[in-house]
Amino acid sequence: MTPVIETKNLSKWYGNVLGLSDVSLEIESGITGLLGPNGAGKSTFMKLITGQMKPNIGAVTIRGKRVWNDYRLFSRVGFCPEPDAFYEDVTGWEFLTGLLRFYGFTRAEAADRATRALAIVELSADKDRKVRSYSRGMRQRVKFAQAIAHDPDVMILDEPFSGLDPLGKRRLIKLVKDFESEGRTVLVSSHVLPEIEAVTSRIIMIHQGKILAQGDIHMVRDLIESHPHMISLRSPAARAVAAAFVDDASVLKMTFGTDGRSLVVETHNRDAFFSRLQAVVVEKGIEVDEIDSPDDNLQAVFDYLVGK
Amino acid sequence: MATIREKGYYHWDGRLEERRFPWWPITRTGIQLAFRKKWFKFVFAFGFSPAVVFLVLIYISERLEDFKSMFGGKERLITVNPKFFMDFLTNGFLVFIIVMVLVFAGAGLIADDLKHNSLQIYFARPLRKKDYLLGKMAVIFFFVLILTFVPALVLYVFKLVFAGSFRFVLEYPWLLLSIVGFAALMAVFFAFYTLLLSCLSKNSRYVMIIVFMIYLFSQVFYGIMQSIFRTPYMALFSIYENLLQAGAFLFAQKPPHAVPVVWSFLVLAAVCATSALVLTKKIRATEVIR
Repeated sequence: MTPVIETKNLSKWYGNVLGLSDVSLEIESGITGLLGPNGAGKSTFMKLITGQMKPNIGAVTIRGKRVWNDYRLFSRVGFCPEPDAFYEDVTGWEFLTGLLRFYGFTRAEAADRATRALAIVELSADKDRKVRSYSRGMRQRVKFAQAIAHDPDVMILDEPFSGLDPLGKRRLIKLVKDFESEGRTVLVSSHVLPEIEAVTSRIIMIHQGKILAQGDIHMVRDLIESHPHMISLRSPAARAVAAAFVDDASVLKMTFGTDGRSLVVETHNRDAFFSRLQAVVVEKGIEVDEIDSPDDNLQAVFDYLVGK
Repeated sequence: MATIREKGYYHWDGRLEERRFPWWPITRTGIQLAFRKKWFKFVFAFGFSPAVVFLVLIYISERLEDFKSMFGGKERLITVNPKFFMDFLTNGFLVFIIVMVLVFAGAGLIADDLKHNSLQIYFARPLRKKDYLLGKMAVIFFFVLILTFVPALVLYVFKLVFAGSFRFVLEYPWLLLSIVGFAALMAVFFAFYTLLLSCLSKNSRYVMIIVFMIYLFSQVFYGIMQSIFRTPYMALFSIYENLLQAGAFLFAQKPPHAVPVVWSFLVLAAVCATSALVLTKKIRATEVIR
């Protein structure tokens, strides 16, 4: 079966800066998550596959057709860019109907599709307000609406969850999942692991312009679990907390801060540590001001994967 | 063992449709947005005042006997001929109003897209760069032609109606072509001129000032250089004087400056070529960060 999106030796650089290096991928239908820290090359990759930029080396095909210079292909592709990208003096309704006219829809068809898309993103009530007056979340939703309004079968969503409140995020996640069940292809990027985890288990990890890993998200989770975790906490009784963990085999190292209130714990079993910490805090009546897991972020996982 | 999941893949066999005029939605939006600007409607409406004056002049020229007592013989100076139409299309007030219309309707055409990152939204659709530029140019064509070609055509028709014969048509059979040619020249030149400046900045207010100032400054600069060097070639520095020269050529009149008309055409063409070059380089879906 022909992959929906295929890239071969895709490379892009900006002057001396490497944006993407030798990326060869096959993306099939369903949802694929593109995961990488900020500046990893996610947006460059997405702009290349939506024909926004010409690759220096390599080629991108969508359904077997080369993307660059085949503008007609975009009638089947929906793209939601990361930054805001609209005329602010038009209403949400005008923004959508105006863009729909590019696909050759009649005025009535465009109106009908705009109505449906705005209803899907729950912006029907605000459709006649100028985009200028939209909140961050509403702008994100109207941007998403323009990507789906023409009913594309390939959707490229660049950081679609950023700026959304938890409820909005949940709604969007459900929408994206619905698209998958309709047999569409969705490529969604994020630098937040739980966001990608919520929509798909199939991921591509990108870092410094290179594809680091491709496969099931559980593989990444396993890597995170096997990677020693740092947990920092602040408490007036930091040494008492430490004393309770001296005999814990999952704790590898404990470091005290100079202020006597901070403690950094290194453990290879984060879940076990947290459940024991809860018990210790309740049992001994210890006051804890702050708990943080500084390396529980994507950058740390990537650093670990690249052997930093 | 990995789970075997059913892929909801559907094979799309449809034809990729093409819109007949893909640039039209851009033009439509550009025209709509211009009319939403505060002062635009007033300036635009004011642009028809020369047409009204020239229409009255045509009426007077055809009813000389009725106005004899009012003008005391001066009405005889009003002659409707190709020069009359050239004067209408090249009069300083009309060109000034056209520049003002461009300040309001044209300055933000590309600048606003650059400001709002709209290019990536446009080019993620079945739209080519040339469609985009044509759409933007068509906005300027619309406003320039509606202030030049349409009133000139109306004046022409009224001349025939007031005269009640087609003698004028037989006398100057090429006049309509001259009107079309000069109006088209103005539209094309001002489209390139405005879009060139509009693509140079993300700030449309700044572009508005530049569109106006360059037009004005070219005229002032011509005046200064002319008084220093006392050569008619200094007229080539002025946008307006070059349009006058081209207009004189197209309406078969004596050029106002003793400079070969081809030089003026070359200056106007050079501005258009520079604009085309810059636009091709500047308009791309994504801003490349170096």
